[in-house]
Amino acid sequence: MFNTLQLPSGHITHRGARFVNRFLTPSLFWLAVIALVLGSGAARAESGVPNAVPPVGTHKGDDVPQPIEFPHNTHADVNQINCMYCHTYARRSKVAGIPPTSKCMGCHSVIATDKPRIKKLTEYWENKEPPPWRKVHDVPDYVHFTHEKHLKRFVFDNEGMQVENVAEVCAFCHGEVKKMTVAHKVKPLNMGFCRRCHEANEGPFDCWKCHK
Amino acid sequence: MSLSNILEDWSRYRKGHEQGGFHDYEHMWGMAIDLNKCIGCNACSVACYAENNLPVVGREKFSKGQAMHWMRIERYWDEPDLGDDRVSEFNQHGANFIPMNCQQCNAATCEPVCPVAATYHTPDGLNAQVYNRCIGSRYCSNNCPYRLRFFNFYSYYEESWPAPLEMQLNPDLSVRDKGVMEKCTFCVQRIRTVKDKAKMENRPVADGEAMPACAQTCPTSAIVFGDLLKHYDPDTDAPETKVVKTWRAHQVELRVTRQNKQNPDLRGYRVFEGLNTDPCVMFLERVREV
Repeated sequence: MFNTLQLPSGHITHRGARFVNRFLTPSLFWLAVIALVLGSGAARAESGVPNAVPPVGTHKGDDVPQPIEFPHNTHADVNQINCMYCHTYARRSKVAGIPPTSKCMGCHSVIATDKPRIKKLTEYWENKEPPPWRKVHDVPDYVHFTHEKHLKRFVFDNEGMQVENVAEVCAFCHGEVKKMTVAHKVKPLNMGFCRRCHEANEGPFDCWKCHK
Repeated sequence: MSLSNILEDWSRYRKGHEQGGFHDYEHMWGMAIDLNKCIGCNACSVACYAENNLPVVGREKFSKGQAMHWMRIERYWDEPDLGDDRVSEFNQHGANFIPMNCQQCNAATCEPVCPVAATYHTPDGLNAQVYNRCIGSRYCSNNCPYRLRFFNFYSYYEESWPAPLEMQLNPDLSVRDKGVMEKCTFCVQRIRTVKDKAKMENRPVADGEAMPACAQTCPTSAIVFGDLLKHYDPDTDAPETKVVKTWRAHQVELRVTRQNKQNPDLRGYRVFEGLNTDPCVMFLERVREV
């Protein structure tokens, strides 16, 4: 079985070598590889959530255009707003939810009112219509996923975990949203991804826990 | 890891209860249906259609036996014809009703035959059907002695819920597409909600908290639903559930193929228990004046 698998990978190595010969010196290439491996290892170790093994796996998600280009980095990183301040339903419901426009306007009736995006938001608010936000992280209909229980396990019932650092838990499945502007999907969110985390953290394994 | 999990669990599920099959249950949901109370009104069936996104297939497909009623009222006539004026296909007298939903057998005949392990026994004592795993071989349906598994021969979505009727669909369970087997789940979405709620509040699930749509709708409360494992606990003084009480009152026991009753007047029985399916649904025989 593995012999047949070696064919394409050998092919890729050959192409990789050509690439290295053409553009990089080999030593530089290996340095880059080592740096990459170390860097990813360090990134995984950085996840400081106690009693939790973050799931592994990446996915290059498509960009989902939003009506207003919401800058997550300004809110969650620069101004250090807790994820659950806006996504308030995450801790008590299945879905994390999009905040109502009134929550946006709570701050933005006075903050940064001259910015074009805020002007657009104010326009929606005054027309009394919600901005047509689009869902980025969507699991299939046959999957039952509840934010409530995952937050209970990894944040509220997790000894040594501060609620202020909840973004680290969110990042398990949503990636580093605080470094993004408009959120996009960076984790695969498929069954293998769920299973890896459930096995590492001893979550339930029964099919009907998640499939409906 | 996962494959070994499946194979290990599967070999456990394949065993019957005499051979020490899968018995580390967390709950075992069961029913007691009192046929004395059943008036054959079909409300349970209608409630099931509404709760579980069941398609209405229409007269033609119904006559071909393709109806998708997880809960059906079977009719039987137990009195002989009483005279010429009463001879008809359906006698005016002596009709019996028996509501049949999936019996959630502990030694289910449908489970070991599934080629892809789409049907299996959960730690809740439920006979689960995983729709997205099912490949539609229909072996389980052929093996079910109760004929309580239903196959989607067509994609009913368009014709059964034309817009805007799709708004009435229950979001807590998927709409099954063509080529998938389905069956009564004891309203697992409700059980799941109740269990999640109890876990968030760090307490056990109370009796009567989880209730399938049929039991909730029954106008005469003929259907009693609950956890068959919650006996009286002398340590915590937790009372036994209503369903355990009913089973015990009628001396019906799990894990036997023939009930050993001291009192023959007791009405409880399980359908086809001689087949060693060990169903979790117990019926109370109807008593008639003759």
